Amino acid sequence: MLFEPTWASSPARHRPNRPSWFSQFLPGLAVTLALLPLNRGKAEEWPQFRGPNASGVSSSTTPLPTEFSFENKVLWRAQVGDGVACPIVSRGRVFVTAFVGGKTFVVSAHGAADGKLLWRREFDAGKLPRITPPNSHASSTPATDGERVFCYFSTLGMLALNAESGADLWKTPLPQPAYLMDWGAASSPIVYDGQVIFCQDDDLAPRLVSLDARTGEQNWQTARPDMLAGYAVPVICEAEGQVDIVISGSGKLKGYNPTNGSERWTCNTLLRTMMTSPVVKDGVVYISCQSYGDEKRTLKFALLEWLDTDQDGELTLEETPAEFRPRFGTSDRDGNGRLQEAELDTAFQSPDNMVGGGATIQAVRGGGQGDITATHLLWNLKNTSPSNMVSPLVVGRQLFIVKRGGISSSFDIEKGDTLWKMSRIGNLGDYYSSPVAGDGKIYVTGENGFITVLAQGPKLEVLAKNDMGEPCVATPAIADGRLYIRTREQIFCVGDR
Amino acid sequence: MTRRWLPLFAFGAGLCLATPVLPAAEGPAVSIVIDPQAPPLEQFAARELAGLLESLYKAQATLGPQLPTQPEPTFVIGSPATNRALAAVATTWPKLSDQGHLLRSVRLGDREVLAVGGGSPVATLWAAYEVGHQLGARYLLHGDVFPAEPSPLTTANFDLIFEPTLRLRTWRTVNDFPIGPESWGLAEQKQMLRQLAKLKYNRILVSIYPWQPFLHFEFKGVAKQTSLLWFGKTYRVDGDIAGRGVFKGAKVFENPDFAGLTDYQARREAGERLVGGILDTAHELGMTTGLLLSPLEFPREFAPNLPGAEAVHQLASLTIGPGAQQRPGDETLQQLAKAQLRGALDAYPQLDALYLTLPEFPGWSTHAPEAWDRLATRSKLSPKPRLEELVQAARQRTVTVSGDRGEAALRGNVAALDFLQTLLADPALLRSSRGHTVQPVLVSVDPALFPLLPQLVPGGAGTLAFLDYTARKSAAQRELLRTLPASQLDSSLILTLADDNVGVLPQSSVPALHEQLGELRAGGFAGFSTRYWMPGDLDYSAYYLSRAAFDAEVTPATALSGLVTPLCGAGAVDRLKLVFASIEEATALIEQHDLGFAFPVASILRKHYEGGDSVPEWWGQVGQLYLRGMNEAYRANQRSTLEGRTLTLYLARRLDFAFNYMNCVEALRKAGIAKRAGDAETHAAQLQTAVEALHDALNAQAAVARSNSDRGVIAVLNQYAYRPLKQELEALDQE
Repeated sequence: MLFEPTWASSPARHRPNRPSWFSQFLPGLAVTLALLPLNRGKAEEWPQFRGPNASGVSSSTTPLPTEFSFENKVLWRAQVGDGVACPIVSRGRVFVTAFVGGKTFVVSAHGAADGKLLWRREFDAGKLPRITPPNSHASSTPATDGERVFCYFSTLGMLALNAESGADLWKTPLPQPAYLMDWGAASSPIVYDGQVIFCQDDDLAPRLVSLDARTGEQNWQTARPDMLAGYAVPVICEAEGQVDIVISGSGKLKGYNPTNGSERWTCNTLLRTMMTSPVVKDGVVYISCQSYGDEKRTLKFALLEWLDTDQDGELTLEETPAEFRPRFGTSDRDGNGRLQEAELDTAFQSPDNMVGGGATIQAVRGGGQGDITATHLLWNLKNTSPSNMVSPLVVGRQLFIVKRGGISSSFDIEKGDTLWKMSRIGNLGDYYSSPVAGDGKIYVTGENGFITVLAQGPKLEVLAKNDMGEPCVATPAIADGRLYIRTREQIFCVGDR
Repeated sequence: MTRRWLPLFAFGAGLCLATPVLPAAEGPAVSIVIDPQAPPLEQFAARELAGLLESLYKAQATLGPQLPTQPEPTFVIGSPATNRALAAVATTWPKLSDQGHLLRSVRLGDREVLAVGGGSPVATLWAAYEVGHQLGARYLLHGDVFPAEPSPLTTANFDLIFEPTLRLRTWRTVNDFPIGPESWGLAEQKQMLRQLAKLKYNRILVSIYPWQPFLHFEFKGVAKQTSLLWFGKTYRVDGDIAGRGVFKGAKVFENPDFAGLTDYQARREAGERLVGGILDTAHELGMTTGLLLSPLEFPREFAPNLPGAEAVHQLASLTIGPGAQQRPGDETLQQLAKAQLRGALDAYPQLDALYLTLPEFPGWSTHAPEAWDRLATRSKLSPKPRLEELVQAARQRTVTVSGDRGEAALRGNVAALDFLQTLLADPALLRSSRGHTVQPVLVSVDPALFPLLPQLVPGGAGTLAFLDYTARKSAAQRELLRTLPASQLDSSLILTLADDNVGVLPQSSVPALHEQLGELRAGGFAGFSTRYWMPGDLDYSAYYLSRAAFDAEVTPATALSGLVTPLCGAGAVDRLKLVFASIEEATALIEQHDLGFAFPVASILRKHYEGGDSVPEWWGQVGQLYLRGMNEAYRANQRSTLEGRTLTLYLARRLDFAFNYMNCVEALRKAGIAKRAGDAETHAAQLQTAVEALHDALNAQAAVARSNSDRGVIAVLNQYAYRPLKQELEALDQE
């Protein structure tokens, strides 16, 4: 079971008065405090995208800095090359990836304490597919079990490197993903119970794969044929006496058996495109997402808007990206070489999963078997507050989200009651990085390289706005009172000590 | 390792070092035959061709004087006059002009090879670049793009001869404003020059202003001290600005060659290195060079030398010009002007031509009647037109400069021409220290004087005519152009590819350029000189001019297809046709309603906020045109090959910028109206919308920024709009 301090247990220095919340969650505080000694003397791990179970929440009680910048409270920094993948931290090492010179993938390890370069590996990227900026060819965040670092690059597959030396351990090629709209790969692996679990939801052959962490051999593979391209990271949910791998995808939140990859349950409440990752707290899965268009806008709309390049309302083989031409015939039911009205309805997607766009924030109780849509959906908010890119943060009793323009909202996780809605945090622009939390603070990274620090709690309070000097797409890592901030070109370690 | 193994190891290491490291032989072997005695430019052409073939086919080229012994694609560089390998085809070699070049499949002995040659070394270089073009390479202004699937590598069935229909193809650079090449360092200038050579432009014109740090002179004990770029403005790019990633952490936007330089001497040296480097590089690429300056404007520190001189008020009062006290024959004025021109020629003795621009805003018109009498007499005008007739013509024409402004321009031009005739009568003035005489070219002579130019222009001088600020407006004045007897003197026309008044917004006007090229050919003009600030939008224009200058049959449509199809694949060209149609329509609307709509100065957006009581309907039309163009560009991008996306994605993001810019302008106008009406809520809401739209606009621009002009737009709009508007918004929030 995963624990993190509630906002009430680790007060921020500038936290507002909040008597009602404090008293309400006093029991939670007691539980957390009781568990704190377990963490003492052991370096905090942030071993994958957004840390433990992709939660974005630090379990450390070491104070985190509020005010900092690219030249203030920087314990070390390193030039690592262009990248958007998140740093990870394990056993005193920080791992980052980069894509340099238009043809080389880089994986490097730095000492978490002093930034010393421990090792650096380069890999020829090979022939690269089309992608859409700001996505990068090295956008997948690695994962580690402490001994090995698992890195995914779309043209190479999954690589395992020795965490201490960077030496090759194994390499498992995976089918190169294909995206109808050329978004490009950006899925990240996780490590669970000796397995490297990787969900590759693309538009061609979406699948969930488990590899043996020691050998790279495939444990199991489960096709996800009713999915479209998406980037949700798998999360582990323990509920109702079972452990599930939970993945949000097109229209459906699904739970899989980690031992064999079989699908256990599905909750059919999501939207067409899922780029955000869910978070789990106390057996409940929280999701926030936005998919362009309204509920009726299925893939057909995008096909006609962007792929139908002569705008005649039909899709020809020539207009179809090369990777998808082998599947053209399946959709072209009358065989006339054109996908027309009725055929476009279901082209390149599963006919029994025709979800459209919109926005939603949901809480779904984990566990169960079969279709749990009617039984496990706890609450569902349909409003315009979620981002299509930024995952939600659940910390303490609040769910926090932020979207383009620095517009933030927060909800009580119990029933979805609004704490604040669509309020500005004072930093404009795009947001790709997901918020993280620790020490009673929420760190919100804007693409413009400013990190806004908020007080964790029921009211929006901006504590600081910190300039990291250059754009930032990656989500920061937190370990032992330090923030590891990966800007486009550098990694900064920021902390009070 | 033990000691006894060391010698063996050393031997092995030696073997490794002695073995040539060959590149992986992925592509075909090709031969490029070049005569060892060939001129340097032809040797360069051979190396350039080798590079192109490697980029296109991963071909491993062998350069040498002999035909290969193996049967492999063979390119023979030069002509029978410069390459002995072509002696066998000397009798069938066509007569080429010094700019004519050919690609011809010929039989040499028992094999067919491709002759790649020209009537001069630079023409041979163009022939080498033409090989790349024929095989699918496209030379965009920022770099080459090679198709994923080039045409099959063959040397057979070529018989192409290229002769220019316009012999002088001039590309202007430096100029003014952060959004223009004034912000480019030498490295960026050189990159552009290499591309221009591939596009067969053959003259580089460096346009400079008196306040800039590009030439030094002294006069009567006063030394030039002004060395400003961008009219002396500074553009901060630190802190919370939009699109900041393009500045890589810099605090101030700078031309990289002047970074951190504040001292006059250091800036002067940097400036001379920059311009000298441009001129030298142009020469190395076979181009001729020109320097454009205003001979009647001087930095203001020279005011004490010229009593009665008047400050020239443009964007900043940085210069002086002659006032009523100075007659055109004024000896001090003549000497001061000579000092400035000699300063230019001393700094740049490699110059081929000196372009002398007549002031854009002349105030020196009181002497026009007496100047006209002198001019007419000296030029032997018969019959002598009356000055009043010329004035009437200048007043009544339909170009932008007409009415009172037209009359002032005409009168000022008459005085200036009188002055220049006297100035250029000194045969030593334009003698370079390298022994040659630099050709003078008079720029922007008033159109009312066009019919008289063969008489008014000093012997040996050329002219560079200017009709109006935009290509469309100029094309509408074709009747004026026909009054210039271009065949009687060396004349070119300024072709505006993008105007600084329309400013930071995307612009395109290839159909108007096409009309003007037809007029130039018909009128016997030598050629053209480009006018632009931001190069990113201009690949289509530059390509059209490049191809049409050698082939009168080229149209805007065939040029677009020729540019796009090899890069992006079939299907994209139709979408891009719509993209450019949208840009052209939007540009036309802006020209029609508000020529200075996005002029890159401090008031660029403020004027829309502080003035006006309604949102003009045409703003919405322009915004929709940009939106339509953006969508089409994204469709083209979707359809395009990876290689072609350098073109399509740039356009998509530029139009994204433009669409958001229009959203910003509209919201700003509404915010301003609300503010003046005391409607605080609407004011704040619209201001918020404007700031966000501008942020999005600048981020879109930043996403594809690849030149310092692109970065200059971001710097300018942050300085003059984003930062102050955001501050105002934050202040409102505080309230």
